[in-house]
Amino acid sequence: MNSSDLLPGLPSPQQLKQYRIWDSYFTPSYSHPGRDGSSRLIADVESSLPAIRAGHFERLCYFAHVGLGTTTDAEYETLAQTQPAAILKPLEKWPDMLMGMIMLNGHRIDASLDALNRWLRDGPMLGVYFPGGGPAALTCNHPNFYKLVERITDLRGLIVQHTWFKTGGKQSSGESTPSELVELAARYPEQKFICAHAGGEWEKGIRAVRESPNILVETSGFDATAGFIEMAVRELGPERIVFGSHLPSRSLGTELGKIIGASIPERAKTMILGENYRKLLQPILASKPA
Amino acid sequence: MTRRELLAVSAGAASAMALGEETSAIAEHEVQKLRIVDANVSLFRWPFRRFPLDETRMLAEKLQSLGVSEAWAGSFEGVFHRDVAGVNSRLFDECYKHPLFVPIGSVNLTLPGWETDLQRCFDEHNMMGVRVHPNYHGYTLEHEAFAKLLSMAAEAGRFVQIAVSMEDTRTQNELVPVADVNLSPLVPLLKQHQNAWVHLLNYRPQATLLQQFRGLPGVYFDSARVDGTDSIPRLVEATASGRVLFGSHAPFLVPEAALIRVHESGLLDPRALQEVLAGNANRFRRAELA
Repeated sequence: MNSSDLLPGLPSPQQLKQYRIWDSYFTPSYSHPGRDGSSRLIADVESSLPAIRAGHFERLCYFAHVGLGTTTDAEYETLAQTQPAAILKPLEKWPDMLMGMIMLNGHRIDASLDALNRWLRDGPMLGVYFPGGGPAALTCNHPNFYKLVERITDLRGLIVQHTWFKTGGKQSSGESTPSELVELAARYPEQKFICAHAGGEWEKGIRAVRESPNILVETSGFDATAGFIEMAVRELGPERIVFGSHLPSRSLGTELGKIIGASIPERAKTMILGENYRKLLQPILASKPA
Repeated sequence: MTRRELLAVSAGAASAMALGEETSAIAEHEVQKLRIVDANVSLFRWPFRRFPLDETRMLAEKLQSLGVSEAWAGSFEGVFHRDVAGVNSRLFDECYKHPLFVPIGSVNLTLPGWETDLQRCFDEHNMMGVRVHPNYHGYTLEHEAFAKLLSMAAEAGRFVQIAVSMEDTRTQNELVPVADVNLSPLVPLLKQHQNAWVHLLNYRPQATLLQQFRGLPGVYFDSARVDGTDSIPRLVEATASGRVLFGSHAPFLVPEAALIRVHESGLLDPRALQEVLAGNANRFRRAELA
């Protein structure tokens, strides 16, 4: 007998494969990919592989630092600007498993617009991620976002915005709440936005985005608090929820457990775990060369 | 035979089974018979949110469907109510109706006469341990009553569960923000009370303290809020063998979360996995036999 014989809590492998899980929030080496552009990130992907295999994930999307000042490491930022091939190594290593989005910097509009051309229009990336902390964090209702969102919409990319409602208030001025994302999303009804972490304090987060049909909530980033998915399905509908793993800093148990442990129909689980995300990515995937 | 006498008999039987199971865990062919013991659940209602499984019968059915054959249950009422004797009596009766659950009484050390509540837990209800919530009850572990509790519990051969947290501080109700329990005073205390057995519920390990706990064999940990894909194996390694219990913090958290987290990394061999799922709990409970 080996460890694979003892996998309590998980559905059968057949069931997991039927879900066709696509992970919208994979965070290997989230804050820095390694001085050479990828080594730490690749190591984190490798440490996540047992969980990825246990969950029978099909694909995972991570967020790349592409030299827009999203890290605090000037040396890395220079490398990312001058040697973009270094950033592509994880995608080249796992071409059938990994997908990528770029981290944008709302403080640097022109450089971010150039990066959109390089990485979304001419490169393999499928969308953008606006962080909630670090040097690039900027509250998402800031006017700097407007030009960027317009260009992302032109390129048919997806937008992921880190959000939290924290008890006691924001930890830094650049953090965004779901309510601030609602303000931004209202200006671009044709653009889809992912409200990452559903605001963390999800009872408020779900309420905040409820009347914004172009916002979907992402499920990772906080404890597997019971009732979250049930409320989200009830208030938003299963079509407005996408699964995220937050691996490896969070766990398969915490994040997949939220969905498979929820008292919702199997059809809703299938939508949340992959189908909805595939629909969101379909426009930009269709624009890429086969 | 009264209900309490019945429970006393069953508790004795459980202990005997525990001894037997620990032995059987060593034999490879017996491995699949090992039960799952959930050392961290709560019954009744959390005041700020309904949970899908906060009806005892539903929680029992879910845990049993996951393979859990025994769950150590505290009471959410014990966090907030002041008639603690009533809380513990209701908990005892509920566990009698649903024998999956083993009652763990609550004690509030800031209330007059808490010693009587403790003695009732031990003498009338034959509880094998008690649970405390220092942060919700407004005292630190330096409070002289806590040292007295450790002494009384150790003398009675019972354990003490310290609920280090109940909820992420970032998502708590704005009117009741409660910091995690500061465990630093526990290190010198347990050096003075070497017969005390303490289970830290919902603890997110910190490296410095873990190093100090490593030399204190009476301290046990659980899986409920230890996050990260390889977090449980790392905790097992950091604390020396046999000190990590399976605990789900259900129904507050989705029980599948901790259960999957225990094995998702594939880093625990079958024997170590079995110890976390049941063997360590069986060993810990034998505090009452020491």
